[in-house]
Amino acid sequence: MKRFKPTLSHLSRRTFLQATAALGGASALGLRSSYAQEPEKPAEIIVRAWGGSWVDSLKAGVSDSFTKMTGIAVRHDLTEDNEIQPKVWAAVAQNRVPPIHINWDTTTNATKSALRGVTEDLSDLPNLANVTDLAKPAGLEGFPIVNTYGYVYVLAYRPAAFPDGPPKSWKDLLDPKFKGRLAFYNDGIGFHFPAQVAGGGKLEDIPGNMQPAWDFITKMKTQQPLLGEDPDFTTWFQNGEIDAACTISTNAREARKNGVKIEWVVPEEGAKFDTDGLWIPKGLPENELYWAKQYINHALTKEAQQVWLDGLGLPGVVPGLTPPKDLVGDPSYPTTEADFQRLIRISSKIQVENESEWFSKFKAIMQG
Amino acid sequence: MQEPFRAGASREAEGGREIAVTVRNVGMDFDGIHAVKNASFDLPKGRFLTILGPSGSGKTTLLRMIAGFQTPSSGEIFINGEAVSAVPPHKRSIGMVFQRLALFPHMTAAENVAFPLKMRRRDARTIPERVERYLALVRLGGYGGRRIHELSGGQQQRVAIARALVFEPDLLLLDEPLAALDRKLREEMQLEFRRIQRELGVTTINVTHDQREALVVSDDIVVMDQGEIQQKARPIHTYRQPRNAFVANFIGVTNFIAGTVRSVSEGGDVSILRGALTLAGKIGDPVNPPAEGGKASGAIRAEQIRLAGDAAQLSKLDCVLAGTVIDTIFEGERMVYEVACAAIGDEVIRVFDHDPAAHKQFDIGESVFLGWNARDMLVFR
Amino acid sequence: MRAARTAYPLKWRIMDALEGIAAAIWPARFRRATPYLMLLPAVLLVGLLVLGLIQIADASLRTLDTTTFQFSDDYSIANFRRALTEPLFLVVAQRSLVAALIVTAVTLVFAFPYAYLMVRTRSPRLRKFLLIALFLPFFIGQVVRAYGWLIILGNQGMVNEALGLIGVAPMRLIYNYPAVLFGLVQYMLPFAVLMLAPALTAIPEELEAAAGSLGANWVRTFIHVVLPLARPGFIGAGVVVLTLSLTDFAVPAILGGGSQDFIANAIYDQFFRTSDQGLGATLALMLVALGSILVGLVFALFGAGTLAMGRSRA
Repeated sequence: MKRFKPTLSHLSRRTFLQATAALGGASALGLRSSYAQEPEKPAEIIVRAWGGSWVDSLKAGVSDSFTKMTGIAVRHDLTEDNEIQPKVWAAVAQNRVPPIHINWDTTTNATKSALRGVTEDLSDLPNLANVTDLAKPAGLEGFPIVNTYGYVYVLAYRPAAFPDGPPKSWKDLLDPKFKGRLAFYNDGIGFHFPAQVAGGGKLEDIPGNMQPAWDFITKMKTQQPLLGEDPDFTTWFQNGEIDAACTISTNAREARKNGVKIEWVVPEEGAKFDTDGLWIPKGLPENELYWAKQYINHALTKEAQQVWLDGLGLPGVVPGLTPPKDLVGDPSYPTTEADFQRLIRISSKIQVENESEWFSKFKAIMQG
Repeated sequence: MQEPFRAGASREAEGGREIAVTVRNVGMDFDGIHAVKNASFDLPKGRFLTILGPSGSGKTTLLRMIAGFQTPSSGEIFINGEAVSAVPPHKRSIGMVFQRLALFPHMTAAENVAFPLKMRRRDARTIPERVERYLALVRLGGYGGRRIHELSGGQQQRVAIARALVFEPDLLLLDEPLAALDRKLREEMQLEFRRIQRELGVTTINVTHDQREALVVSDDIVVMDQGEIQQKARPIHTYRQPRNAFVANFIGVTNFIAGTVRSVSEGGDVSILRGALTLAGKIGDPVNPPAEGGKASGAIRAEQIRLAGDAAQLSKLDCVLAGTVIDTIFEGERMVYEVACAAIGDEVIRVFDHDPAAHKQFDIGESVFLGWNARDMLVFR
Repeated sequence: MRAARTAYPLKWRIMDALEGIAAAIWPARFRRATPYLMLLPAVLLVGLLVLGLIQIADASLRTLDTTTFQFSDDYSIANFRRALTEPLFLVVAQRSLVAALIVTAVTLVFAFPYAYLMVRTRSPRLRKFLLIALFLPFFIGQVVRAYGWLIILGNQGMVNEALGLIGVAPMRLIYNYPAVLFGLVQYMLPFAVLMLAPALTAIPEELEAAAGSLGANWVRTFIHVVLPLARPGFIGAGVVVLTLSLTDFAVPAILGGGSQDFIANAIYDQFFRTSDQGLGATLALMLVALGSILVGLVFALFGAGTLAMGRSRA
């Protein structure tokens, strides 16, 4: 998955200082004493990350403070997530030391690695005591992955194209005037589940009977939508190529920051909610595994999450985070139980086991 | 004896024969360089004309203008009395044999010969018979099915000739097609050209730098140098009465002796002074004769000089010089002597002995006498 | 002495020294092995390619278990069955093939006059201009060029803005099949011109003059002389354009708006989106087979053209 990079302009020097100061306090009080018998520190640990502002946010929120606290340098490997995956799998299969210590990954992709058995169990991280349910990967044993934030595949739209008010349903996109003016992910990710509802089906039937979803997507195909990846949505909105899209809110927010009038909603059928997480590949030496775990543990502190996720504009997994000003009460930044009620969450296990088939099915409809 | 040189063209000339090609005041400039300057000549039907000149003389440019590949910068070319400057090559009735033959390598010999007939939309039923007839004419009967690369150099020449003639063009152009052949084959093909041309009676213009070829094949020779026509005459006249020093020098082996004109007579006798030596000769170019007291040079052919060990043997000749043999070159059918003559400042005179077996041979360093007749020396200014 | 030194310039002395060093490292008695030594890097590269193909063939016979994301230990032809029966792959394969054929035909038609003018023009300035115009896109690269078309042909691009000036509403010029074909033709043109130019250079200009003097106008000269003699160039260019188009990834990905996938895009999806390297390997093998069959067909029908082995006959 290619990621567009939100700017760090709103990550003010003040919040940064607050965060690091709080961290310093926390480490002085708790962490150091609780790990009296520390194993030998490696010179550096390697974290795979998405480039641009994604890695800038991670560095500002997690890596820099980790280095300050432990003295261990953090190197960011910017190999794409879907390209590091085969490398890690091959290393584990051949009993080699993996090329990275920590993978920042989509939960779906990470779950594939978990199912393949190449991930270390992270259940013993102390900070898991303070996290919300969101951190726990649904449908997996223990914590082969720790989710660190969530995001929503919203219905983003240009208000000018909806003079009668915001769209209420995904079905609103079937209006002939939107022919050629819609966009989805090229594998349909984020749209399969709301389509199931909009097509008259039930979420409980996933994955057994998804015919309603395919029927709805077939109808949508007659609208000749564009199909793309994260950066495409921002570009298409900015260039006036599309009026509406099913995309991660971050991409729409990016276009909005660049001055394009964009709004987004969670329609009545709901919108897909998903998470990203961190995980550690098997095969690291004991001491490096220990410090990699400390890194993830650190990423779950409130202070680290606040700075990191301010950069991304996404909801974290520890209680009490302050949302960015422009996202207070926003459907793409769920905080309350009521917010989550409107979102669709399907276990990663079901997703990864069937994703390939759903992708082909979606592609077969759209490419036909 | 010599044909008068005419700039204009007349419909009837040369004893009433029709004129096939008229080149009138034709010039060609390339980026300010005059490749051809004010060229004019007439070619009667059925005659074989050779344009002879060194490389860069403009002979090929003139030919390409007649073929239609280039348009004259000035002047006009007439074929059968019609101005053709505006007529593209494929609408002129001209067969051309190219320098590198330009046979189509993807076709057989017969297909090459059939090509112009097909392009001229001749009746398809008559084509095979006609192609076979022309292949037979060039002595390639039965070779029609061969690919071009399966034929020898001489055979390829013949295919090119057949292809250029098969559609019975008004004019055949030969752009030095024999230049690349070895000498024996070249001489064979020269005779072949002459045979075929006489058999068909097709008006032909040939371009070459080979003086021997020009003499052998042509009815007429146009000698060109630096874009200008130097002389147009029958081969024997071109050889015997060259119009100027260039022609005399370019055709045959000629010795030049420079001097000052002492006297010019009404009858065309000239005498020139070189040091203490007085040389008698004839006016070479009546249009542009040497003037008394002016500079001039006498031209004498290498084969017109006699060589002897004793001056008495040359007593019948008008001019006798003493010299020393400095080199002897045996060329098979003749012996060439290079003789340095003290009387003309040790300038070298070349002498041919065409029957070495019958004459006394001289060695390098031997003292000899040279002699020639005054009528054989042409004086040019 | 000085004269001798200038008669034997420094360059020669350096060459002598280098030859001396070469002789020390690789004595003359090894000379018969030299051609093989030169061949070694190429053989190694081809060997690696073959090894890769063997690995791909192995992977293509293993199926992915999505509950463990491990590949089966035993072989089966399930992937091949899927590849040949699932409509998606047939649609994608057909789209790639048809596009490759159209792009090849159109590119050759456009490339020929360009190559012809470049080879035959008497103006060195025009030739230089044509060469630069040809090579410039090579330096720009396929992806950047495709994005360039997005900018030019987009909704707010130059073309639509120009159309707007004469009162035409913005049109969707990109993200469709014709846009992909257009992008491919534009990308392939330099390859085709470069393959055609040597073949045209090899046709003596005199042949065209000869055809003219024998009564052929330029159309008939072109049909009967230039075209048949340029055939090796057309075959070489055709094969290159055909295979490059058939296997292209970037142009359909960028100009197709996501709905115009080619085989290469389907392979990428299998390897990197669904992690099914088995099916990806299968599709890759089938693409190799398809390309080989096409090239084999061209060679069987028309000969190998400029790609011919051995010496050409005069």
